[in-house]
Amino acid sequence: MSDLSKLSFTSSRPLTLGVELELQLVSLRDYDLTRAATDLLAGLRYDDRFGEIKLEITESMIEVNSRPRQDVTAIAVDLDGLRDVLVTHCQRNNIAICGGGTHPFHHWPERRICPGERFAFLNERYGYLSKQFTVFGQHIHIGVPSGDDAIWLTHALNRYVPHFVALSASSPFLDATDTAFESARLNAVSAFPLSGQAPDVTDWNAFVDHMSLLQSCGVAESIKDLYWDVRPKPEYGTVEVRVCDTPLSVDRAIELAAFAQCLACYLLRERPPVMPSMQALVARYNKFQACRFGFKAELADPIQRCTEPLGECLLDLLDTLARDADDLGCRRQLESLRALAASQFGDAGWLRRTATAAGNFHDLTRAAVARFAEPSCYRPHA
Amino acid sequence: MTFIHQAWEALQDRLFFLPPFPEQLDPLALFALLLVAGLLAGEALFRALGLSRIVGYVFAGALAGPGMLGWLDQETLSMAKPVADAALGLLLLETGRNLDLGWLRANRSLLGSATAESGLAFVSIFVFAYLAVGLSPGWSAATAAITMASAPAVVLLTAEENRAQGQVTQRTLLLTAINCALSFVVFAVVLGVVHAEQSGDWLNALAHPLWVVCGGIGIGMLCARLALILAGRQAKGSVAQVFILVAVALLAIGVARMLAVPVFLCLFMMGAALNLADRDKVLAYTGLPQGHWILAIVLFVVTGAMLPLDELGWVTGLQALGLILVRGLAKFAGVMATGRHDLPADKRRLVGIGIQPLSATAIFMAAELAAIYPEVSGQALLLPLLAAALMEFAGPQMCKYALHKAGETEPLPAGRQR
Repeated sequence: MSDLSKLSFTSSRPLTLGVELELQLVSLRDYDLTRAATDLLAGLRYDDRFGEIKLEITESMIEVNSRPRQDVTAIAVDLDGLRDVLVTHCQRNNIAICGGGTHPFHHWPERRICPGERFAFLNERYGYLSKQFTVFGQHIHIGVPSGDDAIWLTHALNRYVPHFVALSASSPFLDATDTAFESARLNAVSAFPLSGQAPDVTDWNAFVDHMSLLQSCGVAESIKDLYWDVRPKPEYGTVEVRVCDTPLSVDRAIELAAFAQCLACYLLRERPPVMPSMQALVARYNKFQACRFGFKAELADPIQRCTEPLGECLLDLLDTLARDADDLGCRRQLESLRALAASQFGDAGWLRRTATAAGNFHDLTRAAVARFAEPSCYRPHA
Repeated sequence: MTFIHQAWEALQDRLFFLPPFPEQLDPLALFALLLVAGLLAGEALFRALGLSRIVGYVFAGALAGPGMLGWLDQETLSMAKPVADAALGLLLLETGRNLDLGWLRANRSLLGSATAESGLAFVSIFVFAYLAVGLSPGWSAATAAITMASAPAVVLLTAEENRAQGQVTQRTLLLTAINCALSFVVFAVVLGVVHAEQSGDWLNALAHPLWVVCGGIGIGMLCARLALILAGRQAKGSVAQVFILVAVALLAIGVARMLAVPVFLCLFMMGAALNLADRDKVLAYTGLPQGHWILAIVLFVVTGAMLPLDELGWVTGLQALGLILVRGLAKFAGVMATGRHDLPADKRRLVGIGIQPLSATAIFMAAELAAIYPEVSGQALLLPLLAAALMEFAGPQMCKYALHKAGETEPLPAGRQR
């Protein structure tokens, strides 16, 4: 256990991007989740050229991490390369891989914890929550030069958590039931005691003091124990946005990474006023609104003392980010997100429509598998 | 017993409603007794020694069978045969559904493993039976055809009982399905060889294998098509689909019995055809009802009772052990020599152990042959039957060990027994 009072922040080039995706491993027989992760990794012949492939808490999950990249095109190459490696290798093992924030009908007590000290610790500490944590998210890392910038950006991005949730929502089904949520995944995360928002600290030193306090009280041994919506990641030199559902396609994951990069670029340049204590008053409510209603959420604004429709805010924001998108070479990705926000028909809507057409959740998952297997249109020369 | 008989007849004079003294057990009563006896023995061995329940079912049958206590005689066993046929048929239907050609296309090395382990097993057993035991070429080939396959019922139920999931489990099931398919093809050819060797009747030597193969494929494919048509009108995964699947499988069993085509072959073909023809996944999500365990218990009790344990002597026992050893090594070597770039060696070792079971299908195949040439087959088929008898007890444990060692069985919560 490292001493968190000496925690240092590794500087990284501003706006460097990295993406983590947690993916579902399903049986081709009935498309239920299956025990497959350790077997998949054991037989995998892959040289990490597109990034890492790692175990997650249960055997029905696998995590892929892109390499740190400067632009979205390179992220697209990584994510599509990882998708291709996994789809091919899964076929050799007679299983399949797919996106989506939750599996629509799996029975969580049947999940098996992956071997490993960290997973055993989590299982011991959290009991049944560790198996219920078989939900699938996308995490986006954005590089910042200093710890102080990381703390500021963490607070600044917190206001946009509902926007990320609405754009990525892909978990309307849980336990073979339509939850009426656009993203039911985050309810599983909320059950953990260290979830929520980062504390209202002003700079890196104050953050280190806070971490030291948590460590001395036995609350957290490392930053990995904190399941905040947005958190600094000092060893990578990044701020990590952790609220997105894993989308159904690699393309949407690339678009979300582009959105995060443009938003961070805009925020770090414009430095709009940030009031963490005021945002904290409505953060949970706003997140609930986005999880429940998606683009139709009504967000509380504690400063203006009014509500504002998320769908309209999102369109305005995407227009504002157009200049940054041009500068960063990701205009296509943001235009696609703008079309998504305008249509208000995202992955959750697709899942509902497909489930209605199929009449059962097995065929729904089968369709999701086929969708994830599609190559990305953002690869160079695609 | 005589006293009860006489008392009953005396009462019959006075009580007009009494039926004649029942000389035989009612089939339903027999079914119930076999079920309870098997179940109790299986649970007892499972709880006391941690053995696979299947071992307990076989043990109950062997103990009650003609070879030991004699509570179940040949006549009683023939009464229970239709139930055992149905059980084996349903389990082979499931095995056939595991014959996944899509997987074989995506992973060619699996076909290499299956061919290697089946081919090596056939050749080694043939050579052993011919050279070491001294059987004729025809009966040596019959012995090899019967014993080259793994036991689909044992592998399937062991995986199900332990809720095993993973590559060792999936590959054990797939290799079992493939070696069963190969075994059935070789068995049909061997039928012709045995006809030619025994009677020199060339018409039957050609026609009988064709009848068996074409009949099995025809019945299997027609019933699969019928099941898909009927089930296509029902909701996927619904109870109605389960009933349709079971009903059509029972129809296939009945037709196979009527036409003297091996039940196991028809149902295996039906399962394989269901897997191949079901492009829209009409029945793909519909499994056998949990009730198939009831039939499986009876199957293993009957199989246990059919084992010729009274024929087990020093020489025959050593010959059977030799066959098991040769077969086991061949299967193990076949799996280990192939698929190096596909599965780590420790997992391949476990697949090699997982495919070792040998039981009900072999015994039922031997019964098919014995029915054709009862006068000569008794001695000739003793070797595979005794090997199957010994493996009835060891096979389920080996399979369970492989799946458990691979870490693919469901871990039990502390302080609880499944």
